[in-house]
Amino acid sequence: MNTKVVASVVLMVGLAVVTSPLFAHHGAAAFDMGTPVVLKNAVVTEFVWINPHPLIKADYKNAKGEVEHWTMEMGSTVSAQLIGWSRTTLQPGDVVTLYVWRAKTGATVGRFNKVDFADGTTMRDTQRGADDGGRTDGNVRN
Amino acid sequence: MRKTCAGIIAGVAGAMFLSALVAAQGDAPRSPWKYYPEDARANKGDGGPAPKRDLTGTWAGESSGAGVERLVPPESPPPLTPLGKQLFDRNKAEGANVVVAESNDPHVKYCDPFGFPRNMNDQIRSMTITTLPNRTFVLLRFMNIWREIWTDGRALPTNFARGRDAHDPTYNGYSVGRWEDDYTFVVETTGIDPATWATESGYPHSVDARVTERFQRKSKNDLTLTMTMDDPKLYTRPLNLGTVHFRWIPSQTFFDFTCIPSSVQRYLKEMADPAGKPGGGAR
Repeated sequence: MNTKVVASVVLMVGLAVVTSPLFAHHGAAAFDMGTPVVLKNAVVTEFVWINPHPLIKADYKNAKGEVEHWTMEMGSTVSAQLIGWSRTTLQPGDVVTLYVWRAKTGATVGRFNKVDFADGTTMRDTQRGADDGGRTDGNVRN
Repeated sequence: MRKTCAGIIAGVAGAMFLSALVAAQGDAPRSPWKYYPEDARANKGDGGPAPKRDLTGTWAGESSGAGVERLVPPESPPPLTPLGKQLFDRNKAEGANVVVAESNDPHVKYCDPFGFPRNMNDQIRSMTITTLPNRTFVLLRFMNIWREIWTDGRALPTNFARGRDAHDPTYNGYSVGRWEDDYTFVVETTGIDPATWATESGYPHSVDARVTERFQRKSKNDLTLTMTMDDPKLYTRPLNLGTVHFRWIPSQTFFDFTCIPSSVQRYLKEMADPAGKPGGGAR
């Protein structure tokens, strides 16, 4: 086992310790948690700061040039605030790259994973923000 | 040896990473109006002996982010009577095989109050306890619910059926409490609205259910709550609803979390239904 692998395991365990079972609410049974869909250069149309889950709405132009209208949910407002989110983190017109665990129905809805901003920073979801779909409540901007 | 060294290095790196996280959180501007779960998490140990006959204060539960673990979950499977099983089978709780769109949980669908006893065993974020000479109040931050527990020696109502002396069932029922000893407060509750679920998983209860809670303050920092429900129509014996643990919050501050019906309707229409029903609601 090389050092990187060991370090990764330790970090994931550490994150689990830091985050604990925080704010469990709705599960992920509806979503394909295999590999997130990447919506590069998506344009935010609305950031709906509501409970039980804030909704990120964005338009994404696919490989065929068609515009897809996406909606994705994230952790609750209270848990998101604890890691740096606010109702103004995303604003209409922002051009970002969104990572989302798509619904098994195939609809353009899903569970938010993370967002890459134009300035190179990233923000993640609380409940499903890790690259494997696990928790990352400890991550603010990284 | 090489593996051992690698493990040590990785462990140190992990500790440094975690320290950096905590430090980063510590550097951020702080407000006395905000709750910081790391503060509650850092409040290690029992804090000394528990004060006698005193549960007063604000406590962090398992969904507080403070690392508070549930001690015992509600027993599963529940010991249902045939009628109990019939009612339980009607309740479709969200879970590994039931998506939000398919659930008929009245809270998930309509923001209906959990009601008691579910509000003491599901979404346990924080609880504040305060007292008057003749009553103890339990204030729950999730949905901003308050329960009233009478301590003046009155008897519980028992007639929730018909007649002029009947009492109307309520979401939180009717509760009386007494100190069993200096550290154990026992609460009995009757008259709970049977439309509510007893647990997140959809355990039913009838209007004749009687719930017993035992709050035990084991130290300044530790409070446990053990619940049982006696409901002979639906369960063959008293049901163990589990034990939840609470930890003292040094700042005594917590956030609220309210379910807004219009927000839930929007969430279901624009997110949960398209995600859970093929072709349903997709834009």
